[in-house]
Amino acid sequence: MLSRNNLNRFLAFWRHFSGAGAINLAFVIFGILLVWTLISHAIENPARYLPSPIAVALSSFDMVYKGLLPSYFGDTIGRLVVGSIFGLALGIPFGLILGINRTVADMFYPIMNFFQSISGIAIFPIIVVWFGNSDKTIFIVILYTSFFPIAFTVLSGVREIPMKYIHAARTLGANKFQIMRDVLLPGSLPHIATGSRLSIGFAWRAVIAGEMLAGREGLGWMIFTAQDVDRTSEVILGMLLIGLSWIILDHYLLRPFEADTIERWGLVQR
Amino acid sequence: MPAKLVVQNLTHHYPDEYTGESVHALEKINLTVEEGELVTVVGPSGCGKSTLLNILAGLLPYRDGLVSVDGVKIEGPGSDRGVVFQEHAILPWRSVAKNIGHGLELKGMPVQERETRVTDFIKLVGLQGFEDKYPHELSGGMKQRCAVARTLCADPVVMLMDEPFAAVDAQTRITLQEELNRIAIATKKTIIFITHAVDEAAFLGDRCFVFSARPGRLKAIVDINIAREKRIWSAMNVNKEFLRSRDEILRLVREEVNIAVEE
Ligand SMILES: Nc1ncnc2c1ncn2[C@@H]1O[C@H](COP(=O)(O)OP(=O)(O)O)[C@@H](O)[C@H]1O
Ligand SMILES: [Mg+2]
Repeated sequence: MLSRNNLNRFLAFWRHFSGAGAINLAFVIFGILLVWTLISHAIENPARYLPSPIAVALSSFDMVYKGLLPSYFGDTIGRLVVGSIFGLALGIPFGLILGINRTVADMFYPIMNFFQSISGIAIFPIIVVWFGNSDKTIFIVILYTSFFPIAFTVLSGVREIPMKYIHAARTLGANKFQIMRDVLLPGSLPHIATGSRLSIGFAWRAVIAGEMLAGREGLGWMIFTAQDVDRTSEVILGMLLIGLSWIILDHYLLRPFEADTIERWGLVQR
Repeated sequence: MPAKLVVQNLTHHYPDEYTGESVHALEKINLTVEEGELVTVVGPSGCGKSTLLNILAGLLPYRDGLVSVDGVKIEGPGSDRGVVFQEHAILPWRSVAKNIGHGLELKGMPVQERETRVTDFIKLVGLQGFEDKYPHELSGGMKQRCAVARTLCADPVVMLMDEPFAAVDAQTRITLQEELNRIAIATKKTIIFITHAVDEAAFLGDRCFVFSARPGRLKAIVDINIAREKRIWSAMNVNKEFLRSRDEILRLVREEVNIAVEE
């Protein structure tokens, strides 16, 4: 058993390296793993209903060893990145244009609203009819799914930019394009950041669902097929990987981007 | 020589989409501003000072009357008329240096030439050492210095200022007023300076236009004959010309405020 003194020393060491936030997080994770282990020991047939964390870890070693996991993982991330980059690249300018021009906005807004209510999963069947069970189908669904959140947030972001900034640029002699580049784009970055997060988050769900429905290899497919053959540990492993990679993506891609822009400019507080 | 800026018979109404009534903001304004002159505009709050300034800036379209700079009718914003706004309108996503050089950047001036000029203007407003700071890291007074430098750096023909020092503390305001006077000497810019503070109007203006309560009319013009070099706050409370013009402006504004209160 760990003595109280040792425990305190360990805690101090941990705090020194990672701060209070991380230690709280570690406790929560530890708690979840503990409860998970206890439940899986308490139930009958845990291999089918809830394999313990250790069983899941073992199956992950096994799959990495066979080379399956890296390949599934790569497939899924690849689809996500390509699809959401296109979604953002189309959605951001679209939102900007709608934000600037009331007439265009009034024209497109109802249509956007209409399509936004039809989720990526709901358009899946028709896309499959058109393009078959292919990567193209998954790509289109991801693009479709990531387009709307970003377009809507950028649209409202542009409208929230104080007029004084636009006026200032105009009196300095800025033309329409320069106003877009120097005022509207940077001014809506807080919304672009939020919108990107929403979009990529939705795209992440779409890619998983897409693989399940289209039967393309990847993490989503892995979860889906493992369920059929009673390999629950692989299902859980897939879920864990999906969640973890989102956190990593967010932490190493989106957060630093925000820190360098909108936080640096004092547009948001942290 | 013809005047730098001419306002003829300018009347302005704001339509109100909701009630159908309109707000009568300006009534038959006639005024001229000479080259190199610094004029101040005072009047009770809501009398149309900002309306006039926005029309001069080209940000607000007008129908009745004529407004021109160097004989050219004002039909929209342009870099010949620089504006310093009351609220801090420097761009939060640009550093101090980038804000100040923005006008030149928009004109397409090459980087090196631009940087030299920007450095000059940073010195002029005393922001050395803050070139790479972002606006949220500056005090209110520094933000307005940056705004003034940004406008000057674009080298406008006329500089329009709408209560630029109203939002800073009293001590800073005095410093900024003295600095603006120094800048007026150094750059010989034509400046229209709007304020609701009578002291400020008398301290800065070669002439002061006093506006009536809404609808804004040009009620009186007060001449203030004090050499720019003598305009230092510590010398003002014994300066007869300053005291006389300030009291006169105060009296004129008071009449209007009383009218506004009685209504
Ligand atoms: N955009 C606007 N729409 C309608 N009324 C306005 C607008 N801007 C100003 N007004 C009205 O016009 C009058 C003059 O306003 P303003 O020029 O801002 O006065 P000042 O700057 O002298 O305080 C005020 O009664 C104000 O309420
Ligand atoms: Mg005003």
